[in-house]
Amino acid sequence: MTAGTATHERERVQADIGRRLGRWSRSAVVYGVVVALLAVIVGQWLDVSPPAAYGLCSACHGRDLTDWIVNHAEGKNLFVTAAGAGWPLLTVVGLVIGSFLAARRNGEYASINLGGNVRQFAFGAVVMGAALFVGGCPTRIIIRTGYGDLAGLLALGGVAAGIVMATLSMRWVARR
Amino acid sequence: MIVSLSSLALGVIVGYLGQRSRMCSIGGLRDYVLVRDTGLLRGAAALLVTAWVAFAVVRLISTSDMGHGLIAAGTTPSGLRAVVAIAVGAVVLGFVATLSGACPLRQHVLAGQGRVGAWSFLAGFYLAAIVYTSWISPSIGSWVL
Repeated sequence: MTAGTATHERERVQADIGRRLGRWSRSAVVYGVVVALLAVIVGQWLDVSPPAAYGLCSACHGRDLTDWIVNHAEGKNLFVTAAGAGWPLLTVVGLVIGSFLAARRNGEYASINLGGNVRQFAFGAVVMGAALFVGGCPTRIIIRTGYGDLAGLLALGGVAAGIVMATLSMRWVARR
Repeated sequence: MIVSLSSLALGVIVGYLGQRSRMCSIGGLRDYVLVRDTGLLRGAAALLVTAWVAFAVVRLISTSDMGHGLIAAGTTPSGLRAVVAIAVGAVVLGFVATLSGACPLRQHVLAGQGRVGAWSFLAGFYLAAIVYTSWISPSIGSWVL
């Protein structure tokens, strides 16, 4: 046994760990566990509260960020939650940056235009209105249900019903 | 200060994992209904179960009282009218989000990896946020967050 084989051994172990981490990061279950833990920790101890169970939400945090910008640039007084009133919440910016880094690192970044952009614009507007109305994007609805919020459970059931209706109607239209 | 840094760091981590796992909180049920694929549905179930367990642990070790039940700002939603309103709003949310192809969080991830449709989705998304808080929310009363 020489130093050379030991180094070789260590490199093999490191490569193995790297491959295993790469495989874990593609698992949806690992995503669910890590994201739920981080959202609870950030919401509970890292100032992203009140309201409760506010750790991760793409609709509410986006609303807080845009309203914060409008308030500071135009001197308006739009509604911002207590968490995002002082310093802005940058979750939505981080989402795009993190996804961009992951896509570049793994060679999946590509500018793809599938068309239907006006339709997507209208869908985005309706989704934001509905999400602010029921109290969060689908991800936060799940986290709120985990917190024990009955309104979150009701919204989760409603979203599930909406998904099933939309999927079945899309399939019905495609088969006609 | 801390809130900006922690939310930015959370966003980067969630965006990275979301791009790798292609996780979408409405995609799970859609895939199950269409092709009986449970991969993403198991991710959503893991999110729900882990959040439930983690909040229970936080309630045990936290000194401050977190409270239970409904989360609301301003007036608490109560009564049949609020239940019907939340249910109808949630059905609209699920329906339109499925038609647009992904949940809002997944649209941010798609925007980060270069999907043009996701960028136009986000343009409508943030315009609607300003419109909603400027005119719609004051007229219906901001009883939910």
